[in-house]
Formats: sequence, structure tokens, C-alpha cells
Amino acid sequence: MSDDLYKAISKAVMEGEDGEATKKVDEALKTGSPPLEIMQRGVVDGITRAGEKWKANEYFLPDVILAADAFKAAMAVLKPHLKGDAGRPKGKKFVIGVVQGDVHDLGKSLVIAMLTSAGFEVVDLGIDVPLQRFMQAVREQKPDILGLGAYMTTTMLEMKEVIAELEKQGLRRNLKIMVGGVPTSQEFANEVRADAWGKNAIDAMQKAQTL
Amino acid sequence: MANPMLEMIHGLLYGKGLRFGTLSPLGRFVATMMGKHADVIPFMGPQIHDHAMTVAKVPARKYYYEAELLVDTQIAVCRWYGFDTLTVIPDAYNFEAEALGAKMIYSDNAMPTVDTTQPLIKERADLDRLGSLDPTKGRIPMGVEAARLVTKKVSGPLAVGFFCSPFSFICQVMGYPKAVRALRKDREFARELFDFAENRAIFPYLKAQAQAGVKTSVGADAWACFPNLTPEMVDEWVVPSAKRMRERGKKELKMSVMAGQAAADYCEEDPAKFDKEMMFKCWNVARKMLFIDVAITAMGRTQDWNMEWLQEFAVKNGKGGRKMPIYASLNGRFVRDSSPQQIVNKIREWIHIMGRDGGLLFFIGNVPADAPSINIHTAVQAVHTMGRYPIAKDLSAITIEPPGFQPFDEWVKNQPEADTIFKAREKK
Repeated sequence: MSDDLYKAISKAVMEGEDGEATKKVDEALKTGSPPLEIMQRGVVDGITRAGEKWKANEYFLPDVILAADAFKAAMAVLKPHLKGDAGRPKGKKFVIGVVQGDVHDLGKSLVIAMLTSAGFEVVDLGIDVPLQRFMQAVREQKPDILGLGAYMTTTMLEMKEVIAELEKQGLRRNLKIMVGGVPTSQEFANEVRADAWGKNAIDAMQKAQTL
Repeated sequence: MANPMLEMIHGLLYGKGLRFGTLSPLGRFVATMMGKHADVIPFMGPQIHDHAMTVAKVPARKYYYEAELLVDTQIAVCRWYGFDTLTVIPDAYNFEAEALGAKMIYSDNAMPTVDTTQPLIKERADLDRLGSLDPTKGRIPMGVEAARLVTKKVSGPLAVGFFCSPFSFICQVMGYPKAVRALRKDREFARELFDFAENRAIFPYLKAQAQAGVKTSVGADAWACFPNLTPEMVDEWVVPSAKRMRERGKKELKMSVMAGQAAADYCEEDPAKFDKEMMFKCWNVARKMLFIDVAITAMGRTQDWNMEWLQEFAVKNGKGGRKMPIYASLNGRFVRDSSPQQIVNKIREWIHIMGRDGGLLFFIGNVPADAPSINIHTAVQAVHTMGRYPIAKDLSAITIEPPGFQPFDEWVKNQPEADTIFKAREKK
């Protein structure tokens, strides 16, 4: 496998060319390249570079969205081949969901793309997630971190309920909690006793690494 | 003086230097927008729908469905806080999508919201399948009635109806990522989407508003803020769309249609990435869609901005020796999360930078449901005290204490909106 193919995958992901990204991943798999290497040197490299460009004000949200889409498409092709990949490093487990009454999942999708690129094992509970579903997921998945998202000032208050219930049920002890979403803030995170606030997808990923 | 026209003329004369009599709140607004300054810096009624619902303790399942309750509650809460204008805004982004059959999430505590994970438009063929909006469907009749009531109950330039602007509508019916993909990668489809949004989804709603006597309708477009869209993308797609809608509204409905409001609003969240050149670009693009030439800020993280930049922009782009008026918006989260003293300090700083030469209006960008009322009362008091002309040389010498205020429930008992609000609480 030549470096050129990894570079082409990375470029396609970074530039949000989902069709090109999946085509190149497929090509790399056919040449017998190790899936883990395709993921790390191609797909993850591409989304990481997109993140760097975002940070440097060279990329704006539309560019990041397209890159995240291409990342998702490339990972969908790779995923079946990664199962049982012995060399795959085990990252921290991150369960994430948008609280009940709220269906906005743009921020969550970006956070998931960033977390996955950083090696986290992400379990996505989806949107409009009832409180008890969070309890069940924490019990069953035993994540290192739980991420709660909301988009509206009314629904974000649900985060307080979820955290209080986790404490009540004794599920908070070994669990870190992050909150995020448009109406949230560091002050809000403090108020609801979250361990961290993700200002944006990259910030969320970086803070998750430190928890 | 209860005649809005006379109040506006009074404001206009006052702003031009003919300072006689006591300005009404509407006159104060006009004096600031059209002249140099009023007697005091005005505090505009903000977007307040969720917060007003919370303050008035009315159930979401009534509030977002009954026009009179929605309008009266927001009017009462705006008056309770002492804003200079009454602003009534429904959940403007949901009406057209809901009426076309989008899957919605309805909640006991929040506004109806479009479930963008199950989009109404997935591909081109869906545009034909959907046909045109039927103004008898969904909450369109309620939206029309709300617009009619606002036109009747609110005086002056803020007596307006609301609709969802085309780009935000496209995001509502297919999700933001797909909408952006179309703009960037499939321009033909993007053009078809804008055509559908303008003519088959939004126009029938505007027509129903016009038939109800609404003269002006404003199209909210927060999905088109920066960095969701770059100013170049707004210029290419949103500005021409707003122009088309304005022209069609004028020609066929005899109505002022103002789409693209809040498009290009600078909403970068990370202070480390703030970019003066980009801010200027955003403000310049936003100007193209506003009904009056104003340097506008709305939802951005303004508490962290360098407001010298906004003042510089307004002065640089002023005409006839006066700067452009500045619509300075306190960030809603800042108002919620700060102490009253922090809010006073921020207002003091802004008046010092942008208020001394007139042309400054305060506003809050979407008041959060749980913002403490004391913070908002304090903000209004601070603007009305420190913002009195001529502005004091040393603003730091003026002490603003959080004001005492009558609880809303006691205050509203003697207001014309009392019956509507109290009855709504009783209903199951």
C-alpha cells in the first residue's frame, strides 16, 4: 500500500468528498492494507486536519460538516473490517445523547466524529432520550464519560434532572459527565455539577481526553 | 400622545435636535434610529418567547397553540420589564415545516420542534410530492392570527408578523448538513430548494398574513448566521433570495417582506478565533437584508467582543455626519449566567464605547427560559439610568443596585392581559 493512497483518503475526508473517500477506502481494502492503518493514516488523519483548519479559522462550519460526512461515510465502509482487529487500541468509552424533548443532533454528530477520531469508543443513544434510558445505558455500558446535549433553553434543564437521577441511583461515582449545546455555558455546567462543558466539538474532544 | 404616527414624528424631530416634550418609548426608538440620540438609550424588547412562558407560568401546550395567549403573554412580560418596545415572536422556525407534514416533537415544557432526523425532504422527488403549503394546515391559522393580533396591539415598526426564512426553512426540512451539502456540492438542487421554500412553502403563509391585514412580515434566519454559513455564502444565496421575496411581497401582496433577518450574524463561539475582518464582512452582508441601515448584533457571544470594532464599523459606515445606529445585543446566556453587577459593568462599558455619540440601542439575543428576572430588570434599569443624555463623563461614579420589583403575578393582576394568562393556567 502506497502512502499516496492514505494521503488521498485523508485529503478526500478533509475536503468533504464522501464519494471519493469511500472509493479510496474500498481500494485500500482491496489492496490488502490493514484496516486499522487505513483508519488511522487515512480517515482519522483527514478529519484531524479538518479540525486543525477549523481551529485556525481556515475552515468554517460547512467545511467541517462536509468533512464529518465524509468521515462517517469512510468509517461505514471500514467498520465491518475493523471488528476483531487485534491491534485496535481501546479508548475510553463515551456514551452520548440529546436529552428528552430535544431533537437537534448536529452538534452531537460533530462531537461523535471528533471523539471517534481521537480514539474514543462512542455509544450514541440518539436524540430525545428519556431520563431512564440514560440510567439504563450507564448501568449497561459502564462508560467513562456521559455526554448530554441540548439545543433549547427549555430542554437543557432536563440535564439537571438526568444528573440528579444519576446521583440518586448511585451511578455517578466512577462516571464523568460532560454537557454541551448552544444554550449551555461553563456557568450552566457548574450549576448542574457536570465535570466539563464542551464549547464546540473540538473543545469537547479535548476536554474529554483530560477527564 | 397615543397616536403612533405622531409619536414617530416626535421621535424624528427630537433625534434631529428639536428636543421638546417627553418622548414615548416608540418616539425614543425612532429618535435613536433616525436621528442622533433620544432622551435616553432605548432598550428594545428582545426575543423572549420561552422566557415569557416561564415567567407567566403558562403551559407550553397552550402557549404555543393559542395566538392570543402567546401575544398577550409576551406583551405583558415585555411591559413588566419596562422595555421600550414590545416584541412578540412566536417559534417562527416551525410553522411552515409543520404545516407541510414534517415530523414534530411536542413537549409539555418547550415549543414544538421539527424532528430533523426524519427529514421531510431527502431528495429532489420530495419537492414534487410535497406540493404547496395549505394555509389551513398545522398551526398556520394560529400564526396568522398571532400576526394579526401583533399588528393590532403593538404600535410602530415592530407591529409585524413572522415567518421562517428560506435557508432556515431548508435546514428545518432536510437538516443543516444536507442543506449545506446542496449549497456546496449540488447547486442546481440548492436553487430548486430555494425556489420551493420561497414560492411554495413560505409565500402561501405570507399571503394568508396579508389577507389578515398584516403589512410587514419578518423572516427569521438564524441558521444562516456565521459560522453556519460564511458571509460569501450568505451573499450568494441568502441575499438574492431575500431580495426576490421582498419584490414578490411588494408586487403581489402589497406587503413588506423582510427575509434573512439574523443571517450573517457573527456567532463564532470561541473568543480566540474572533476575527475583525470577518465581523466587518458579516455586518456588511447583514445590512443588505435589513429594512433600516443598522449595525446589528443578535445572538453572538458579544460579552467577549471588543466593542471598539463595532463602534468603528458604525462610524466608518455612517452617513451625513452621523454614525450608523448600533443594535447592541447582550448575549442571552450572559444575561442568564452573570450576576446583576456583571451585567451593569458590561452595560457601563458598552455605553462608554458606543453610546456617547448617540445611535445606540440595547437588546438581548433570545432570553433563556430560566434567566433570572432580577438580571433583566437590572439590565433595563442600568441602560435607562446610565444611558440618559448627555451621558455622564464618569460612568463609574453611577451606582446601579438591582431594583426592587413587584412579582409578575401581582403586577399582572391589574393588566389587560391578566384574564388570558390566569385562565390559561387553569385549563387542563
